[in-house]
Amino acid sequence: MCDLNELWLNVLKIFPILGGEVTFPPDPIKDEVFENVYRQMSNMGIAKTITSILDMEVESAIRNVLVPKFWKHFISEGEPHKVKHDMNIAAFTDTNALFFTFIYAIDELYDAYQCLEMIKPRLFYLNQSANSTSNLNTKITLHNALLAQLPPSFNNFVCDFYCVHFRLFTKDSTLSLNTLDSEVFTELPCSGCNVDLDQCCCQKLTEMVNATNMKLLKMGLIDRLAGSALTALIKVKIKEHINDTCVGIFDRSHLKQLETWINDVVMIWLTSIFTEWKSRDDISQEKIPKSVQAFKVKLTYFMYETFAQNVISQFFSIIIDYPDSSPAIDDLKICMEKIDMRVYLTESLRSSLEARILHPGVNTMDILTGYVAAIKAIRHLDNTGVILEIVTAPIKDYLRKRTDTVRRVVTGLTEEGPTDLSEELAKGEFIKFGKDSHLNEFSDWETWEPDPFGIDPDVLKLNSSKLIRSADIISMVVDIYGSKELFMVEYRNLMADRLLSQLDFNSEKEIRNLELLKIRFGESLLHSCEVMLKDVTDSKRINSHIHGDGNCDESPLFNISSLIISAQFWPSFNKESLQLPEELENEFKKFTKAYESYKGNRTLNWRTVTGRVNIVIEIGERILEMTVPPTQAVIIYHFQHKSEWSIEELSSLIKVPPSALRRRISFWQNHGLIAEIEPGIFALLEKESEKTQFEEVSITDADEEDLESAMASASDQREEELQVFWSYIVGMLTNLDCMPIDRIHQMLKLFASHSGGVEFTQEELKHFLQRKVREHKLLFSGGVYQLAK
Amino acid sequence: MKVTIKSWTGVASWRWIANDENCGICRMSFESTCPECALPGDDCPLVWGVCSHCFHMHCIVKWLNLQQLNKQCPMCRQSWKFNIH
Repeated sequence: MCDLNELWLNVLKIFPILGGEVTFPPDPIKDEVFENVYRQMSNMGIAKTITSILDMEVESAIRNVLVPKFWKHFISEGEPHKVKHDMNIAAFTDTNALFFTFIYAIDELYDAYQCLEMIKPRLFYLNQSANSTSNLNTKITLHNALLAQLPPSFNNFVCDFYCVHFRLFTKDSTLSLNTLDSEVFTELPCSGCNVDLDQCCCQKLTEMVNATNMKLLKMGLIDRLAGSALTALIKVKIKEHINDTCVGIFDRSHLKQLETWINDVVMIWLTSIFTEWKSRDDISQEKIPKSVQAFKVKLTYFMYETFAQNVISQFFSIIIDYPDSSPAIDDLKICMEKIDMRVYLTESLRSSLEARILHPGVNTMDILTGYVAAIKAIRHLDNTGVILEIVTAPIKDYLRKRTDTVRRVVTGLTEEGPTDLSEELAKGEFIKFGKDSHLNEFSDWETWEPDPFGIDPDVLKLNSSKLIRSADIISMVVDIYGSKELFMVEYRNLMADRLLSQLDFNSEKEIRNLELLKIRFGESLLHSCEVMLKDVTDSKRINSHIHGDGNCDESPLFNISSLIISAQFWPSFNKESLQLPEELENEFKKFTKAYESYKGNRTLNWRTVTGRVNIVIEIGERILEMTVPPTQAVIIYHFQHKSEWSIEELSSLIKVPPSALRRRISFWQNHGLIAEIEPGIFALLEKESEKTQFEEVSITDADEEDLESAMASASDQREEELQVFWSYIVGMLTNLDCMPIDRIHQMLKLFASHSGGVEFTQEELKHFLQRKVREHKLLFSGGVYQLAK
Repeated sequence: MKVTIKSWTGVASWRWIANDENCGICRMSFESTCPECALPGDDCPLVWGVCSHCFHMHCIVKWLNLQQLNKQCPMCRQSWKFNIH
């Protein structure tokens, strides 16, 4: 018995776990004691039993003691373990409690693990003598037990740990990347350990971290415990890195640099975790383990994805910066070849466009600028035009709703501006018409590319009919309205306005623009513009003929030159009128006569409201010389003979409605020449008043006057077009007595549409008919129209 | 006060002195062109017949060329003679 007791004590010494103790390091045991115990045990034939008891004990110790103890560190929060370390690290601890808890827990676990591992050779020794095998595998048991009880918050700890690890690892590269002055740099905390540089504990920390990592590696726990956390961490790091290095920089390519970064920093770091720690230089030569290789593929993919998302989220700025931003687009192009991001791109771009430019706070010119830039940038990205079509659809829809779009486009085409439209026009590319582009597609079959994938096929189908694959920017812009005609009409109106307001008989620039437009849109649409410009040059010649040939020999009161227009080809004028004083009118009659004798059988209808008059006003001591519109000139002219006019008197004399007249007189009021002495009575101010203070106002006023269009407004012109149909409508209603509006519309479309080719909607017709009702030409009751009797 | 007009740049539209508005052949306005022409006025003038009817010159010439026997005014069927002023 005494022997047995002694034996048990020895066994307990050899295998302390049997007593429930897990300590490290184990007490040293003398070899003779070993020998003695083994011999006795094998003699007694209990080696096998002891082995299985040991197996069980180890298992239960792992499961019930070690693992719960290990996990307890991570569950009980807020109470970090104070490890014996010096002041600096203590300061560090406070901010990185998780980090130290982790290190401590791992240390503890490792000690226990080593203690258990110590048993192995002894057990093996014992088994050798007993010829029995132990199925003890501490690693696997530990794995199983650990994973079975994994608390959800554990990943945070791992994350925190590897975060520190990564920071320490990349410390050097951050240092070299930083362009800060060394002086400034010393004042910053150390980038590795976040404490002041003079107390830097990076060295110590690195040792600790590496030791812990080694322990994990030895226990084979890295993959299981840290795998997912590591992946998450690296993803965060990649995102951070992309955000740090790439955001807002579009003028150079980033992909190469990012790939190098993944290779040089992340991969080496990973390798250092999964293999035994060596210095950085050694690792790069070492063979990277397979698991890390597989990881690399995954990470590279993730890097591309993150980068592409990053670029896409900033695509609006890229568009605005184009063409300076083309390297960024090239990068994105490479990414898109690897990853399907088209749907994401179109969605994100559409929404950012909507948020940035498609709202009432942006003026039309800016939207157009954005549109043109978007066309250029997206075409750079995808030359099939599919993405472009999808992304720009909302812009087109929106621009269609703005009333001044056409005008802005036309202005953009003819003037220097931010949209570069005039530049594009000057390039003089031809529009590829439907037929040609089909031909091209077949003849260029070698360079054919399939439609981009990854886009909802329904959208494609919907759009494919109207896809403009290789249309240039001008046609894309004109395409907003889907018709060239509308643009050309607006162009004509704007040109008429310009010619009438300048009246300088200088049309070279206009002719150049017209030629460029003709190349693009064909001659037929621009025919009237051509006639208009010819009118300008003809007028110049006629003027010089009339002046030069001594036709106006009898010393004229003033020089008249005139823009003589072919009214059929000009937009119709508004209905303003002006009656000239007789002596002035006579001068015009003389001019007309001279014209009649020059051009047989033709005469002139004067449009007196439009023009520019150069007058000199002598009043008191002052002499004013200015150029004013005819109405203003006539008003001041009348004040020569009579210094006081009531508005009605003047209105009936010069045939200008009182409201308009009042507006014109205000021009002279601003000049301090006329004042309203009583309501409706205007009088000349002979004495010098505070005219100087009005000087500036008047100039701007005169400019505004110039800007006023002489042309009829678009809606007036439209009504005139509809007037063509009036006789048809009268005929219809005479025969059929009364009709509802949709029948009238249908009938007109059927019979009258080919007469002038005028297209109109039912809504427009309704307006027109309602005006006729107001003019008592029609009756409207019970939803039908009939002629008024 | 004295107002002196130094120069006046005005706007006027020209028209033919004719007793009708549209050409009886092409039904286009006189101030417009015949269907063949692009530029109005000098390039597409009017001509008068002694019967006082007038047409675009290109229109009436084309009409007369189509008449094999007696060249008549398409409006009044009198034989056509150009009225040269």
